Amino acid sequence: MSLALIAALPFLGALLPGVMIRAGRNACATVTGSVTALALLGILLHAPAVMRGEVVTARFEWIPALGLNATFMLDGLGLLFSLLILGIGLLIITYARFYLAKSDPMGQFYTYLLLFQGAMVGIVLSDNVLLLLIFWELTSLSSFLLIGYWRHLPEGRQGARMALAVTGMGGLAMIGGMLILGNIAGSYDLSVILTQGDAIRADPLYLPALILILLGAFTKSAQFPFHFWLPHAMAAPTPVSAYLHSATMVKAGLFLMARLWPVLSGTDAWFWLVGGAGLITMVLGAVIALFKDDLKALLAFSTVSHLGLITMLLGLGTEFGAVAAVFHIINHATFKAALFMTAGIVDHEAHTRDIRRLGGLRALMPVTFVIAAIGSLSMAGIPAFNGFLSKEMMLEAAWDTGTGFAVLATLGALFSVGYSLRYLVHTFLGPVRDDYPHTPHDPGPGLWLPPAFLAVLVVVIGLVPQAAVGGFVKVVAGAVTLGEPTVYLKLWHGLVPALYMSIAAVVGGAILLALHGGLSRAWDAAPRPEAKAIFDALVDACARAARGLSDGLHDGAVSRYLAIMTAAVLAYGFWAWSGGEHTPGLRIATPLSPVPVIFAALLAVASLALVALHRRRFVALVVISIVGLVVSMAFVHFSAPDLALTQLTVEVVTIILLLLALNYLPKATPVETTAARRLLDGAIALGAGIGVAALTWAFLSRDRALPAISDYHLANSYEGGGGNNVVNVILVDFRGFDTMGEIIVLGIAALVIFALVDGLLRGPASRWLANRVPDMPQAGDRHPLMMVVATRIALPIALAVAVFIFLRGHNEPGGGFIAGLVAAIALLMQYMASGFAWSESRQHFDYHGVIALGVAIAVLTGVASLLLGWNFLTSTNEYVTVWPLSKVHLASAIAFDLGVFLTVVGSVMLALASLSRIGRRAGEGVNLTPMDIDPEAPGRAGKEPH
Amino acid sequence: MMSHWIVAPIILPALVGSFVLLTLRHDLLLQRVAGLAGTAGLVFLALVLWAGTAGGAIESYELGSWPAPFGIVLVADRLAALMVLLTAVLGLMVLAYVTASGWDGRGRHFHALYQFQLMGLMGAMLTGDIFNLFVFFEILLIASYGLMIHAGGRMRLRAGVQYVVVNLAGSTLFLFALGAIYGIFGTLNMADMAVRVGQLPEGDIALLRVSAALLVLVFLLKGGLVPLHFWMPNTYALAPAPVAALFAIMTKVGAYSVIRVYTLVFPPEAAGTGTMVADILMPFALVTLALGALGVLAGGTLGRVTAFSALASMGTLFAAVAGFDPEAIAAALYYLIHSTLAGAALFLVVDQVRARRGTSALVPRAPMAGTGLVASAYFAAAIAVAGMPPLSGFMGKLMVLDALRDHGAWVWVWSVVLVGSLVIVVGFARAGSVLFWKAHDGATPAAAPAEPVDRPDPAATSGWAMAALALPLVGVLALTAFAGPVHGQMRAIAAQLGDRAAYVAAVLGPEAGAGLATLTPDEDQ
Amino acid sequence: MELLVSLGIGLMTAVGVYLMLRRRTFPVVLGLAMLSYAVNTFIFASGRLISGAPPVLMKDVTTYTDPLPQALVLTAIVISFGMTAVVVLLSLGAFLSAETDAIDIEKPDAREGAAAADRAG
Repeated sequence: MSLALIAALPFLGALLPGVMIRAGRNACATVTGSVTALALLGILLHAPAVMRGEVVTARFEWIPALGLNATFMLDGLGLLFSLLILGIGLLIITYARFYLAKSDPMGQFYTYLLLFQGAMVGIVLSDNVLLLLIFWELTSLSSFLLIGYWRHLPEGRQGARMALAVTGMGGLAMIGGMLILGNIAGSYDLSVILTQGDAIRADPLYLPALILILLGAFTKSAQFPFHFWLPHAMAAPTPVSAYLHSATMVKAGLFLMARLWPVLSGTDAWFWLVGGAGLITMVLGAVIALFKDDLKALLAFSTVSHLGLITMLLGLGTEFGAVAAVFHIINHATFKAALFMTAGIVDHEAHTRDIRRLGGLRALMPVTFVIAAIGSLSMAGIPAFNGFLSKEMMLEAAWDTGTGFAVLATLGALFSVGYSLRYLVHTFLGPVRDDYPHTPHDPGPGLWLPPAFLAVLVVVIGLVPQAAVGGFVKVVAGAVTLGEPTVYLKLWHGLVPALYMSIAAVVGGAILLALHGGLSRAWDAAPRPEAKAIFDALVDACARAARGLSDGLHDGAVSRYLAIMTAAVLAYGFWAWSGGEHTPGLRIATPLSPVPVIFAALLAVASLALVALHRRRFVALVVISIVGLVVSMAFVHFSAPDLALTQLTVEVVTIILLLLALNYLPKATPVETTAARRLLDGAIALGAGIGVAALTWAFLSRDRALPAISDYHLANSYEGGGGNNVVNVILVDFRGFDTMGEIIVLGIAALVIFALVDGLLRGPASRWLANRVPDMPQAGDRHPLMMVVATRIALPIALAVAVFIFLRGHNEPGGGFIAGLVAAIALLMQYMASGFAWSESRQHFDYHGVIALGVAIAVLTGVASLLLGWNFLTSTNEYVTVWPLSKVHLASAIAFDLGVFLTVVGSVMLALASLSRIGRRAGEGVNLTPMDIDPEAPGRAGKEPH
Repeated sequence: MMSHWIVAPIILPALVGSFVLLTLRHDLLLQRVAGLAGTAGLVFLALVLWAGTAGGAIESYELGSWPAPFGIVLVADRLAALMVLLTAVLGLMVLAYVTASGWDGRGRHFHALYQFQLMGLMGAMLTGDIFNLFVFFEILLIASYGLMIHAGGRMRLRAGVQYVVVNLAGSTLFLFALGAIYGIFGTLNMADMAVRVGQLPEGDIALLRVSAALLVLVFLLKGGLVPLHFWMPNTYALAPAPVAALFAIMTKVGAYSVIRVYTLVFPPEAAGTGTMVADILMPFALVTLALGALGVLAGGTLGRVTAFSALASMGTLFAAVAGFDPEAIAAALYYLIHSTLAGAALFLVVDQVRARRGTSALVPRAPMAGTGLVASAYFAAAIAVAGMPPLSGFMGKLMVLDALRDHGAWVWVWSVVLVGSLVIVVGFARAGSVLFWKAHDGATPAAAPAEPVDRPDPAATSGWAMAALALPLVGVLALTAFAGPVHGQMRAIAAQLGDRAAYVAAVLGPEAGAGLATLTPDEDQ
Repeated sequence: MELLVSLGIGLMTAVGVYLMLRRRTFPVVLGLAMLSYAVNTFIFASGRLISGAPPVLMKDVTTYTDPLPQALVLTAIVISFGMTAVVVLLSLGAFLSAETDAIDIEKPDAREGAAAADRAG
């Protein structure tokens, strides 16, 4: 079976439990188990080859350019771990079937479990460090789901989050480390990296890479100072704990250190970092475990301790250390998984895991007792069980390393004996109590068979180690060291120092247990840092700081945002300017003349007045319209009649719109800023003004270095565009595409306004409007007679002017846009003078339709040229005589200009109509007849129906 | 043969939009049919465009048959085709969701605005004319104003005002930039600018740099780069969530424009401008990423969290763009596709949370209906957005990190990207655990008074809505599974971007391109 | 004249920026309007200034002012007109809904507001 398939099987299988749960819990468990068994079978089929020393590989390209490929390899190390993962996985699946309550969603559980299993298998089979990283982080994610499985428990949620944060952090650090490693080695393939040990150790980036990778390994394997998450992950259901924290997840870190052992080990940094952390963790975990009253917590800290032990062995960097580490990995997995399962059985049967409430279970649950006894004696390192063998090897290795190591290792072993015996003695021995939360008895075989199987392994390996696993350990250790280690496992080593250390540990441990009551009280009384509290405080502090900073920066103060943005633009603009050479220009084309100077003075006065008077809003409107007027005059003066016309008409409509809106807005702007803030704003504004003035001056005072493309427009306007007004030809022809976009903007603006008002009138604002009391004195003469008459007369004239402007636009200043605005203003005047209802009842225009028609005409003009085989918006032109006008040079672009005209009229009118709906809701008199004097008179149409 | 196809993705939504407005205004069902059909047609057109450019050809389309650089040109190259395709696909996905969840019925003119929005996006990505780019920016902006305030509401309108005001300021800046560009270049055609940038006399360089600076700032404002990003959080958090999902592409337009002008007109080898873009891009991209990550951790509401995650993703994207070499650009483009789809998915999840829970505020509440599905979708989308394995975010992040390993600031980049990921993961885990796990806490009293959903719409939580929500997630999955081929395509795009002469030759003719080829290379260095 | 025009544009910009940084929607809208005057004139100026030479083709005239910036400004004017209309109405809508025309969303409000919009959504 291909390795890729083996790695994929659990993931594919993860789809099944959710479906199979409908067929019942047994079916669900069976399917899950079968998937695992199948993968296990696949591994076993490769086992003979691996035992012969071959490396099985499989390779698929994924992202070759990145060097991330789905390459897998199975060597001794991979074989060991995949057997552990899948073998123990199979036992756990069986166990979980009977452990989980009916109310627990079992389908979900098995799905998560398989996801996790797949991730683990992926880690140990990866031959590509990037692929390994993917599986690595997947274990973090899937264990997050597993630990938080009982989501109603706050401990579960917090434990899951903590595990994710800590192991996730390690994983991310590891990404950095692996990328550096791959960078040095020139490949992300492990098989290549493993050959580059010397180059890697010699690289200046070795230390950062080592630290980053170890961060990943230590967090995953709960090494000091990252050990604190593991006990909190015990909130998970026991099968999860048994699986994750004996055989799999926490071993991933060990796997990684073993995997990269040939590349990373052998330096001082490695020795002190790995060996030191391992040693500290071993002792610390053992000490804490002794004082834990929760069975699972005790086992959790014992796991921490044993992981430290293995880490320490790997850290030594010697072949013997590696062999011992491999052997202990096997032994620990067997006895620890069995112990977790017995703890689960006790919990399941007695409804408590608190050692203080237990004791005397030996008589009530003999089978469980036997299993627990084998497991805990092995954990204590008592001869005849496998834990003894590897512990002896550890002590021997520590002895060879130095006195400090030897002493601390013995101390760790001593506490290890203490808590192991406590687990056994305080739970199972002693008198039977009568106050268990639930009277325990041995469970069915579904729960005890899986740990029993492991217990048998413990004994077999303990008695005949060399025959049972000697060859296997040799292959695995060979894969770690890339050599041919000598492995001879035996029960009796003779009277070596390790034996004395071991004896001291057992005796000391027994004494510890005897003194446990007093020690425990002293321990409880002693102050010590609580890792979870620190972690929680840290995360909360981070979150609070993040909230403070983030909310402080993004608090909705848009005026500050704009100030920052303006300042940023100025700063970058100035920086850009100062980075290049600038030759001042000498061009002065237009001499000063009196009239422009007067207008300039007017502009200055109006602008400053605007700043001074902007709080009085009506006044501000008048003043700003003066500015607009001056700008139009400037356009006139500098040869831009089209611009001037447009500016003027737009100005009129804009001011009308602002006036109408201001009717409902506050009429004054209060003072809300401090003087300092205004000064700062003023400084920013001044900076912007100076910058823009300087930039303008820089352009105006120099001639172009390169000819402008508009020379072409001037040259081709008549011949190619059929018009003398080059600006208009540019608008409807050379750059007609822009104009098409421009009118669409206008049309959309009207739509947005309509939708906005429509929404407003359906919302709470509508009620507010209806109850609004006008804050301005209302003119009694709502529709002044003179104005009505004047606009009535003006309408046909204005419309005629619009048509005229429209038609002449191509050759003289004018065009569809200006014509549209003129027409719109003419209509607007009708509405203003005679009231909206009156006017509307006489003009049944559907403004939406007008806009849409305008846009459609403009676009379709372009499409028409497509149909004729030309490019979009290609125009043609003809001379046409339109009676009674003179001969008109009619370009097809005029159809386009018609679209412009319609869109403009429709948009302006739709916007106005929307505003008038607000007016009607606000209860402003809306008349059906013009020239009514009294708003309360019978002619009043009243409010718009809701 | 391809030529007319280039303009089609712009015309189609314009016509569909006008058609919907003209005739289907009062019939939501017909609007939906027209909108979906039109958008599906757009996907088809985008595919045609993609196929047409796949061979490496760059095609230029002269509107009104006026020769470049005097008229306006549209240019279809691989990058433009990619962006058009991405926009069309995202547009269809989001529209499917909007239709399924009934969002389009909660205000007027949704479908017309949506089509014009698409039109603006298409135009912005296809145009080869800098002023025309402005026009399309305005189209997509004004349509986005309408979509942003769709369905109204007090806070949404206030946030809408802010959004509009900031963007009006941005448009003004764009115009200043355009004035400066025309003043210095005398042309508006981007290919022509690329040619002329090497012909400017020494004494014009300062002005050239100012015009480049103003232009780039406009794009960075759209792209949400610190300190021009302030409009993003409130806009994304307060817009209707599906609209925010569509907006996932809007910031990308900013990124696209930066890539376009940066590679074409102001590449690092250009003597005058040099690395002036990258010099600010990299540090501020990293700050953007950091601020986004902090915002995710800060929590508040899931909407806000998601908005900040979008900010963080722009930081990552811009960091990759700042790397500039073809590998970095390829990584940036892959990440761009990823973050568009993943971000959209997450915003749709926000909408589901709001629809089922009444609010996405991160306070414990009574359990919501259908938690399992929504939680799974959240889990998947959050993993993708945070850049955790095994989804495309992780690949994208790896590509970015790998591409920037030789960058001068690689230590900074790696640190910020990796630490930022951690912060985002923790933030998402906290948010998700409150929303989906704590909710099961029967004992938890409702911290906030229970408010009803303002317009309970059964469609909002229907199976169809969930199915539509799955679409971007499927996209993310596909992007993951086919990461290799997609990355290959991105490399092809990046390679094409590196060949300025080919672009210029396609627009202005072979001579202009040849002239450029002699101008650009190493003689400046 | 060139200097005068430059100063005028700078002045309009400064006034526009200052008003844009105010705290109420109305002055901000006025500020944006000022800015659009300024920028339109700026673009216009990018074609350099010529007096008395409008770009309308006539016999025997060879000097015309640059027509292209004029066309660009026309487009810009129209677009900014549409934008102004929207922002005016939107400000009005926000005022009618929120009963304040303050442009800043107050700090405590931002968070609560997000929740409120959540409910509305």
